[in-house]
Amino acid sequence: MKQAFFKKAVSVFAALAMVIGLAGGLASARTVAAEEEPIRIGTIYAMSGGNAAIGENILRGIDFAVEEINAQGGVNGRMLEVVRGDHAGDPAQGKSEAERLITQEHVDVMMGCHMSTVTEVVAQVCTQYGVPMITAISTLDRLSDEDHEAMDYFFRLCPLNSVYVEDMLKYLKDASEQTGEEIKTIAIFTDRAAIGQELIRCVELYKDEYGFDLVDTIDYSSNATDLSAQVLALKKADPDAILCDSYIGDATLFVQTLKAQNYIPKMIVAKANGFTDPAFLSNLGAAANGVASVVEFNPDLLNGEEINAEFSEKYGLNMNGHSAESYTVVWIFKTAIEAAGSTDGEAVRDAIAELDIQGEFPGGRKIILPYDRIKFENYDLAGAPHFRDNTSASVAIAQVQDGEWKTVWPFDFTETEILYPAPLQ
Amino acid sequence: MSTFLQACVNGLLMGGFYSLMGMGQNVIFGVMKIVNFCHGEMLMVGMYLTWLLHQTFGLDPYLCVPIVAVIMFCLGAVIQHTLITPALGTKSFTNLLFLTVGLGLLLSNGALVLFGSEYRSISTSYSMTYINLGPVTMALPRLISFGVLLVVSVALFTFLKYTTVGKQIRAVSQNPVGAEVVGINTKRIYILTYGLGVALAGIAGALLTGFYTIFPTAGASFGFRALIVVVVGGLGSIPGAFFAGIFLGLLETMVALFISPSYSDLIVFVTFIVILVVRQLIVLRRK
Repeated sequence: MKQAFFKKAVSVFAALAMVIGLAGGLASARTVAAEEEPIRIGTIYAMSGGNAAIGENILRGIDFAVEEINAQGGVNGRMLEVVRGDHAGDPAQGKSEAERLITQEHVDVMMGCHMSTVTEVVAQVCTQYGVPMITAISTLDRLSDEDHEAMDYFFRLCPLNSVYVEDMLKYLKDASEQTGEEIKTIAIFTDRAAIGQELIRCVELYKDEYGFDLVDTIDYSSNATDLSAQVLALKKADPDAILCDSYIGDATLFVQTLKAQNYIPKMIVAKANGFTDPAFLSNLGAAANGVASVVEFNPDLLNGEEINAEFSEKYGLNMNGHSAESYTVVWIFKTAIEAAGSTDGEAVRDAIAELDIQGEFPGGRKIILPYDRIKFENYDLAGAPHFRDNTSASVAIAQVQDGEWKTVWPFDFTETEILYPAPLQ
Repeated sequence: MSTFLQACVNGLLMGGFYSLMGMGQNVIFGVMKIVNFCHGEMLMVGMYLTWLLHQTFGLDPYLCVPIVAVIMFCLGAVIQHTLITPALGTKSFTNLLFLTVGLGLLLSNGALVLFGSEYRSISTSYSMTYINLGPVTMALPRLISFGVLLVVSVALFTFLKYTTVGKQIRAVSQNPVGAEVVGINTKRIYILTYGLGVALAGIAGALLTGFYTIFPTAGASFGFRALIVVVVGGLGSIPGAFFAGIFLGLLETMVALFISPSYSDLIVFVTFIVILVVRQLIVLRRK
């Protein structure tokens, strides 16, 4: 009987000791985990389907920044880790990927997406779960308009579509400093599809403010068999500058037709798309010389030369606009999480809203994009309120010179002069 | 005035392509009474063949024309023998419609898988050469292409008019039963005509590569215009298709010049519908 009691007491003690020991062990394990558990950045881009190549470029920029930051000791002593989601170009899949990353992978912050329609859906999910999200490249104006005011965990780094067009007009205005000839009349040459309508809308919005006379708007259907009629109409209108937006097939045919119709406009400024497709230069060769286009980043940008050298050594190709903007977003998250002192969603969101980066990131590089301040603000754009956009964002203008894209504007970010009039040969 | 002349030349140079496409379509329709809905995709295949020949052997795109024509003829003959002839037996128009539409989808998606969605082009030493004739400028490749098209068209007329095979083709197109009765092998004629039609589309494709980008859906807009040409020029009529093609090219540029480039597609299609309706009314009145 006594023995039995003793046995029982021993086993109870043993069990108690085990429970205490286990709890202690667990507690110490937990503190170690908290120190070493990485900060998880969720990314949602197209990694399959027709746009996979774009997703790849974006992820290169993100990986490059993450490696750089981790090599410096991480954020608040924690490493960064990227958790990849794939939206395959489909908003429905974007939504389910966002939910998966938040509820199962427990990401702390989110980046995405490549298509504005997908970004919109993902931003709603992030706001619902209180996960801060920054888009590096979604340019559709309405993502930050009144209807989306409530998406208060969502911020946008890149310029809006209308800022792209406004910058094209600013460039035309500023160019007279170098060319000595003032631009007075402009014409639009563009696709009848959505991209063209957007260009026309934005030019209408700003042309009076910049004092340009829009003399003609010429459009065509995508993949046109022939553009000679359109070019003849441009020739008749003979504007000082042509603004255009086209897909690659039509962009190539456009420049060829200009030559065939013996019409060399003095200035052509494109809103990227087909004009900055690598095939544009290889299709046209010297005939493209003088064509200018909006770019978000260019390897010869004074701020970007250094990082591009490192980037191209690592990946064997130049940094492009998408990789440069995504790179920058990772640095914004780092800076904001450090300011917030934790990865709590609300604290990080408030830190992003408070952020004001001038010139360079604390402990990092100069801003590698063609502007020198990052601050997310609520503001009025052409009379309509917008929310949480980086109001300092702008684009650069590059021009094809000797078969290569050279940055020519803003003048502070380059040493190359504008080639005027465009030779097209 | 100089703009008008330039627009005429542009319309003529482009119309030549519509003619060639329409004639290919009409050769097939005339004999078999089927509309070849993958005609535009055949043009695209011709473009990629030319590109491949240019990439691998460094052949000039214009030297590729006869080679592409032969390959495309064989391709057409095989398709006719293995797919279309059996389907003709069912006497069902829907069957043939789905067959040719499906073939078109297969070809353009096949090209997407094989070559990707990049827009390619062939550049030659003369692709950026332009000829000035008074007030009019022409790109040399377009001019050469137009010359070749004229030669091909004349050759096609002569072939159909004077050679025995040509006469057999016309005989089958006028009365297939009668032709069979007098001893013409109609199946063989079917193979020949489909091959011929596809070869004409291939030639158009090869000639286009001198100044047009190559991509998997490049044929779509040309294929669609070929249908208009066939309807306007008269189903089965080769000279009709020739002139209708030129007419379509000129109409496009003239509308753009005198009205607005934005309306050129709209007006072309409205004209197309008007011609269809008017012709229908005339036919009804005659009855």
